[in-house]
Amino acid sequence: MNNGVAELKSHRLPETAFTALAAGRGDPAVIRLLQGAQQSKHTMLLHAIAEAVGDGDPADQGVVAFRAGYELLTRIQAADPGGSAWLLGLPHLGGWAHDGLIRLDQDTSPDFAYLACAAAAAAVRAGVPFELDVPVRGGHVLLPGLGRLAAGDEAAWVQLRYDGKHLAVGDSVVASRVTLGPDHGPGRPVPHWRGTPAVRVLADGLAWDILLVTDDPYLDRYTLPMSAGLTDHELRRWRQLMQAAWEVLVRHHRWAAEPIATGVSVIVPLTPQSETDLISATSPAAFGAVATSWPPDPVTMAETLVHEFQHVKLCGLLDMVPLAESGPEKVYAPWRQDPRPAGGLLQGIYAHLGIVRFWQSQRQAETDPDNILRAHVQFARWRAATEDAIDTLLRTGCLTPDGVRFIGLLRDQERALADEPVPSPAREIATEVALDHRLTWQIRHMATDAAAVATLADAYRRGEPFPQRDRPEAWVEEDVRKLGSSVRSRLLTMSYLEPPRYRELCAEGVLPLSEPDRLLLGRDAEAAVRAYRDLIAGSADPQPDAWVGLALALHRLPASVLRDVFAAHLPVLFDVHSRLGAGHDPLDLAGWFG
Amino acid sequence: MSSQEKKIVAAVPDLRDFPLDRLAELGGTPLAHSIALYRERLKENGVPLSSFNARI
Repeated sequence: MNNGVAELKSHRLPETAFTALAAGRGDPAVIRLLQGAQQSKHTMLLHAIAEAVGDGDPADQGVVAFRAGYELLTRIQAADPGGSAWLLGLPHLGGWAHDGLIRLDQDTSPDFAYLACAAAAAAVRAGVPFELDVPVRGGHVLLPGLGRLAAGDEAAWVQLRYDGKHLAVGDSVVASRVTLGPDHGPGRPVPHWRGTPAVRVLADGLAWDILLVTDDPYLDRYTLPMSAGLTDHELRRWRQLMQAAWEVLVRHHRWAAEPIATGVSVIVPLTPQSETDLISATSPAAFGAVATSWPPDPVTMAETLVHEFQHVKLCGLLDMVPLAESGPEKVYAPWRQDPRPAGGLLQGIYAHLGIVRFWQSQRQAETDPDNILRAHVQFARWRAATEDAIDTLLRTGCLTPDGVRFIGLLRDQERALADEPVPSPAREIATEVALDHRLTWQIRHMATDAAAVATLADAYRRGEPFPQRDRPEAWVEEDVRKLGSSVRSRLLTMSYLEPPRYRELCAEGVLPLSEPDRLLLGRDAEAAVRAYRDLIAGSADPQPDAWVGLALALHRLPASVLRDVFAAHLPVLFDVHSRLGAGHDPLDLAGWFG
Repeated sequence: MSSQEKKIVAAVPDLRDFPLDRLAELGGTPLAHSIALYRERLKENGVPLSSFNARI
């Protein structure tokens, strides 16, 4: 063990590891380098909290519990360094330490007592005796990474006593060490103990051990709440899904499977707001945890794991090497509905490199025509989106020199996939869905110069030619116009993600679609153009969604100036037309622009 | 990965083998600097969270 202050060194990342990560890869050895740095980061944050405890009220039970927990952790480290390393590597502890530091910076008190629970968990695991007062929350004592003990509702605190073999809770409950572990499924229930649900999945000789965490407050940190209180039936379904997804990964995406097995130790099931949403998330505070709502099938779960593990890796790398500086500018990300800062775009690009690679292989693995279509569209859509987003990111000028190098190496990977053929139907769907997303985003978030728009509207009204100067400037301004995701957009996406459901809905003819949207989805592009035009020209109110629809309908027709003007200048066109008011033909206006 | 290979020096001190009961001795060292840098990053970037809706 290193005992010398003077010998304190920084983590070092070999160039080969940096290159592998930039290429979207990184074998288990590289992942372990990231994990090592995370363990140090968590230790560093723990130390920052410990320093703050030094100023804490010695009579405060939380402060007392922290000190006792810290002392216990010190003893565990001396007796079993692997035991303290296990705890300091847990995403639970990372989330707690991260939040603790933020609370200190906000002049509020961290949840000091959590450390006592965490140290107790590590001590039970390592067989190190202790006596410790710990908080009771919701009638339970949480032992992060292991499970929770029932402690009754009477007291807010309870004493744990552990002799290395048996754990006593207060005066009544005693549990054996061998039973105090995660719950791997069928087995006899242990009185007073609820092990954290665990899954061991296995395919072609490759195993992966995961915890399904739904009760730790420091992993309940995503945009959706964790799915607390999963029933036995739901747990069985999660276990089955993880096994099936693992088989997909191991058999078709081995490059991703082995690093995921090394780097992801926790899945946090999320509760979605609607049945059709699929939300997944990763937090840099909780390295090794991936959160997701219930995915519709094992392939989607496998894709989600590849996607989120890309974020996990990049979060780990960013803690070691800054790649982007914060800047005020927000830009378009083809996978988000909101404008993103450069750092967010970098995360998305990296995640989508993994997604592109996933669908590239998955195209070969699928046998059902609907699934083959989905794989081709996903591959084509995200390949083009990633390439565009790299250009956008470079234009922000927010990358550090290492960031520029990183994105250059990443782009080499992207370009290696550029010539991969995609069947026409899939390519056309991918292009249309991407255009719909981009134009909807632009209508929503691109502001235009009001004076220049007024000048153009006046010139058009007077029948003058288009002024021979640059078109009005447009810039990103969040939610400058109201426009959400339309039924039409959702159906376009559904057409390749869930073709059977899409066909069923179209056949039923009960969808709340406007007539132009119905014509567009019915692939009658010429009629759709006329219908959108009539809707826009005849409406007293602006019709942003119809403008996007008109652009999509034009896109289905042969190449034309009108099509290009709609694709390139939609926010300006929309604003000039809004200023002109009802009665003006949007196609005539676009022709004037062209 | 050979020991001669070029390596990037990370912003995180290697504390994996450092005794927890001696961390306090590191008060004015690179550890304090690293914590300050981390705090600065949090202030600049907030708490970034990747969140993705696969149905957009």
